[in-house]
Amino acid sequence: MEKERKSMNSSLLSEMSRRSFVKLLTAGGAAAMLHGGLLTPKAFAGPAKTAGGCKAFHSACQRNCYDTCAMLSYVDDGVLKYVEGDKQSTFTNGGLCVKGYSYPRRVYSPDRIKYPMKQIGRGTGNWKRISWEEAIDSICDKILSIKKEDGHLLGLALDKNSGSEGITNCAVIQGLFTGLGYTTRFEGSNCWPAGYDAQYFDFGDMVCNDPEDLANAGYIILWGVNPAWTSIHTMKFIYAAKERGAKVVCIDPVLTQTAAKCDEYLAPKMGTDGALALGMARHILDLGLADRGWVADNALGFPEFEQYLREKVTVQWAAEETGIPAETIARIAEEFAKAKPATAWIGYGLQRHTNGGRAVRSIDALVAMTGNVGKKGGGARYGQEFTWDFEYWPKSKMSPPAGSIGFVNPAKQKPGEPTVYSNRSLNRNQAAREMRKADPKIRMLWVSCSNPMSQYPNRNEMEKMYRGLDMLVVVDQFFTQTAELADIVLPTTTQFEEWQVNVSYWHYWLAINEQCIEPLFEAKPNTVISALVSKRMNELSPGSCTYQQDLTPKECMIRNFNDTIHKLNGISSWEDLLKGPVKAKRNPVSWAEGKFKTPSGKYEFLSAKAAEYGHPALPEYHSRRPNHDKFVILTPHTKFGLHSQFINLDWMRDFNPEPCVYINPNSARSKNIVSGDMVRVYNKFGEVAVKAQVTDNVPEDTLLMYEAWFKNDKFNVQNVLDDAVADMGAYQFGGHRGPAIQEQFANVEKM
Amino acid sequence: MSKQLAFYVDSQKCIGCFSCAMACKNMYHPEPGVKWRQVYPLSEDIYPHHERAFYSLACNHCEHPTCLECCPVGAYTKREDGIVVHDQDKCIGCGNCVRSCPYGAPQYNPKLKKAEKCSMCWERIDAKLEPACVQACPVKALRIIDLSEFDDAEALHYPPGFPRFESLNPSVRFKLPRHPHVVRRNG
Repeated sequence: MEKERKSMNSSLLSEMSRRSFVKLLTAGGAAAMLHGGLLTPKAFAGPAKTAGGCKAFHSACQRNCYDTCAMLSYVDDGVLKYVEGDKQSTFTNGGLCVKGYSYPRRVYSPDRIKYPMKQIGRGTGNWKRISWEEAIDSICDKILSIKKEDGHLLGLALDKNSGSEGITNCAVIQGLFTGLGYTTRFEGSNCWPAGYDAQYFDFGDMVCNDPEDLANAGYIILWGVNPAWTSIHTMKFIYAAKERGAKVVCIDPVLTQTAAKCDEYLAPKMGTDGALALGMARHILDLGLADRGWVADNALGFPEFEQYLREKVTVQWAAEETGIPAETIARIAEEFAKAKPATAWIGYGLQRHTNGGRAVRSIDALVAMTGNVGKKGGGARYGQEFTWDFEYWPKSKMSPPAGSIGFVNPAKQKPGEPTVYSNRSLNRNQAAREMRKADPKIRMLWVSCSNPMSQYPNRNEMEKMYRGLDMLVVVDQFFTQTAELADIVLPTTTQFEEWQVNVSYWHYWLAINEQCIEPLFEAKPNTVISALVSKRMNELSPGSCTYQQDLTPKECMIRNFNDTIHKLNGISSWEDLLKGPVKAKRNPVSWAEGKFKTPSGKYEFLSAKAAEYGHPALPEYHSRRPNHDKFVILTPHTKFGLHSQFINLDWMRDFNPEPCVYINPNSARSKNIVSGDMVRVYNKFGEVAVKAQVTDNVPEDTLLMYEAWFKNDKFNVQNVLDDAVADMGAYQFGGHRGPAIQEQFANVEKM
Repeated sequence: MSKQLAFYVDSQKCIGCFSCAMACKNMYHPEPGVKWRQVYPLSEDIYPHHERAFYSLACNHCEHPTCLECCPVGAYTKREDGIVVHDQDKCIGCGNCVRSCPYGAPQYNPKLKKAEKCSMCWERIDAKLEPACVQACPVKALRIIDLSEFDDAEALHYPPGFPRFESLNPSVRFKLPRHPHVVRRNG
């Protein structure tokens, strides 16, 4: 049988999984694992809400993800036993993803940070358990000494990012940091600013049709988006459209899992999506397939756009620019224009380019000129924020302590008028650069809901800056690569240990997250940590922090609700959500009324607002920046993690044991690399050592590594990313352009 | 034919998301390193695109299970609906089942020093619920079928890469993945 088993393995399995398969059969490696099974195979906890001894609670996944799943969490005797998707949400239909199902292990991971810890010697790993009192004292002493020495708190910086999207986490930003005084904030988004601005220029807002409405589409272009990995619950609506006869086309430089499930896959050169969209637009014009009626009634600047296309764009030009044959561009364009309705889902990858905002505007224009905006089953889908109108309590209630000195923005300060102070805002996409030039210098940094060392570009420079701080405080659940550099880490709760409320930037559902277990060890929610600091600050120096000192996390959650949220979701109180998630009572079709939020009130092919921000008024094509090294490196999301979260869990390692870099067979051959070799990916910014996997899923000029943080592994794609920014993002994101993290370059060699 | 529940694996729909495999861990918490269900990428000679087509496999609840035949203490039973159940209370951890199953279904639990394997969530099935892995599948690529009623001419019993052990008659059926039309760039 052993021989037969081997034959099965060699015929079925890839080399990597074969190894783990054999290891699994011998099973020796698992002997040292710490966690005893909470359930024996027989002790299944039953189905109904209280069956099998388990009580069900409503939960909401907190991760920065399209799907933001409404969950049910089953608890017995104070222990979280298992989780599942809430079937009341028609979006998830009772499912979670590989990450969501690993939550029980995340909560009870032996690697959780259990107590406040102090590191003796930054980065040494010499950690000492301390009390919450000692931790908060050290933090408050430092804040007060900065204030005394500098006369202000601009030397105190906050980096609260999207690691937990629970609404009450705004307590750290709006509450504690505003309550302390004017401080420095790392702002801007690593994610979607360029495309976000593009949609604001075109539509006056960023709104998408309900993703469940994808099922109504007659033609779907999945443009630089990989929902098979990043929004698995949307796939069923795409399949539903296919089953009704829709054609699904995927456009991506990489043959993604989504591409493998489409009818047709196009692989243009990286950063040429705008040229492809414009080439299609030109062909649609030539065939007379533009929806002139819709455009005349609803749009501004179509004649100018048409003139631009006729003068500057041809299908042949687009073919040369993108590498996609002209006849294919023409055929896809014709199919798209004739299919009614047709839609494009624009991913966040293609706008993480130096010409990314323009690319999104070009795709918007393609959808608009074919009359697919405001249509059931149509639309240029990117994301939405209309479900996010929470209070962000205590935003409106907070002001800095009297007499606080802050940042003076020369652009906003009028001569002769009283000094206007504000917080200082730095672009987190250029964090190292911003820290280096910051004057006054940043002396203390507080990081929460974030792992900048694994998420921000130019990592080696970032580390130098972090090491130069007087104090780094990290609030987290695990000893991430950022926590490794901290002086003090504070353990925080998972969503199961606190109250939260969550919405998605994709679907229309709203879900509450009940606290269902007590906080593990000494972990505390961000709301409580913030209150502790506020309380101690006032004990040490009365009046030094205006943030609340004794509000429960649940009360904080409740205060984030308002009439807008109630009305939109058809609820009278937050308590209605204890019955289950609700969907916004809103037309699933965006822009159905044909009223846009642009200055003209029309869809704007020609945007004066874009010109005001230094961009072409039309969605013109500009090439991306030239390569500065031999290969393009792409660092997209893996299915096994959400940014740097989950990948470190031992359950996840069972399925995703180690990082790798994907290399095209021809490139691998030229570098004498075969699958399994350790290679060095390097450029002038740094290097990363990683195992090679040879595959023609990536093009010849491309290397692909997933962003990740593995426990006990130095692997980090950020080592080789520079901090180039996208063209757009400064309009709606506090002056901060988005990152160009998919437009990066490096070389590779066998180690 | 009497009732025989089986897994139906639609590789045309499967997106390789591993939700099924982790949903199983979520439900039963096997030790790290122990997997009752695994999602196997097909090799490139079966499907040309590396790691883009998969078989999600667990215990096949065979008509003639070798685990049941070789277990010296009768820890295995076959239910009337065809589910092969392993009773860990009876198991002495001899490993016969682990060694004999050509599909690698029984796993050795290093902590309990006993075997364990996919139960097809028979307790959930008895409660009229789908197995955890089936409920988890976002695209209905994994289903439970009853072979006594199943009649699908397109379904394969032994697709490429899945070993043919006819004497066991594994209770699993497959649909093969399809290739997209691929337009690569020039230059």
